[in-house]
Amino acid sequence: MTLADRIAVYRERVEEWLHGLYHGMIEHPAFELVEKEAEDTEDTFMFACFADAFGIPSPVSYYTAELLPYLGEEFQQFERRMWDRESLIERKGQQYHF
Amino acid sequence: MNKFVFFGGKGGVGKTTVSCAYGLTCAREGLRTLVVSTDPAHSTSDVFDQQFGDDPQRVEGHENLWAMELDPDEEVQRHMREIKRTMSDQVSPSIVNEIDRQIELAHRTPGAYEAALFDRFIDVMRDSEEYDRVVFDTSPTGGTLRLLALPDFLESWIARLLSKREKSIDLYEKAAIGEREARKKAAEDPIIARLTERKEMFEFAGRTLREDATFFLVLNPDELSIRETRRAIEDLSEYDLGVEGLVVNKIAPEPDAGEEGTGAQYLRQRHATERERIRQIDAEFPEPVVARIRQRVEEVKGDLLDDVAAELDIEVAPGASV
Repeated sequence: MTLADRIAVYRERVEEWLHGLYHGMIEHPAFELVEKEAEDTEDTFMFACFADAFGIPSPVSYYTAELLPYLGEEFQQFERRMWDRESLIERKGQQYHF
Repeated sequence: MNKFVFFGGKGGVGKTTVSCAYGLTCAREGLRTLVVSTDPAHSTSDVFDQQFGDDPQRVEGHENLWAMELDPDEEVQRHMREIKRTMSDQVSPSIVNEIDRQIELAHRTPGAYEAALFDRFIDVMRDSEEYDRVVFDTSPTGGTLRLLALPDFLESWIARLLSKREKSIDLYEKAAIGEREARKKAAEDPIIARLTERKEMFEFAGRTLREDATFFLVLNPDELSIRETRRAIEDLSEYDLGVEGLVVNKIAPEPDAGEEGTGAQYLRQRHATERERIRQIDAEFPEPVVARIRQRVEEVKGDLLDDVAAELDIEVAPGASV
């Protein structure tokens, strides 16, 4: 193995590490944060649509029921999230991966 | 005169009679007229002695006259069936059962009946090209007012849902850093499409009610119905809907001067009270009284309906039809 090869391998490794660090420290948390926020907004949306699933009468549920065929899976996830969520802090804290 | 004419008022004041009589007058003038009953206790069938259904049907013995009775229950069922059908096309069978519950729930809330009625309402207004005049015989005041308030209310609600949905999808798109595929995209979102469609429908209804509709309130010369009318006018103006005129119905006749029996005494007193009430109506309401209709001995149908129609002083103005 020549010196040039060894330098190339070394650089490759450093690059991989740097990318890993970048992904782990910056890219992924950022992505996760934004997607979490999107999920939260979606929860608000779902709740406004289907408040009656939680016992709150909603005047628009007749209309929003039309959306259910397209929201099938999301609706189930949403229902689970709503029933499971114990506190706001718990959900917001998830991103810190302690 | 606008294309859509609404008759409202307290229960039992004779809205159906007045709207049928008005429909008849319009038809006589050569306008293709449709009488729509939105009152769950349909009595259009009784007035014309003919059974009507959920689709417009020609009124026998009259030209240019059609009638229909909206059936919200039927509409609720139809709506539910349709959603379930779409669902079995879209969603895997394992979830269908879970969501069925939610669908049934949504169709059993108290609002479902109103929403269904409202949907039919809009359908009728939308598919009314072949008619020159559509006369709505509405349910008693409270229900109708809530119905007329719906477009505004629903419009803003749906707008809110729409903006929430757009925001969350926007976030999903932003979350797709680099090469990643976004979990959802605004352009292909069926939810946004559906909500927009609904929003346009409510906008249409609101616009039509404000610009293309005329409201008349029917009342009797008694304290309760005067009070309810006053409230109704206030509520309607809150939604930017003006009342064009009042129809005073069921006015007791005055007995001849010579009559002195118990019946005549009763009638004379009754007549005096009612005259007082009518004076009060004339003085207190800025809206003009467009018709004073005498009380009949029998139910108003057949020839009697013609008499009542003759007493209606609401202009038909065929030239002004939209």
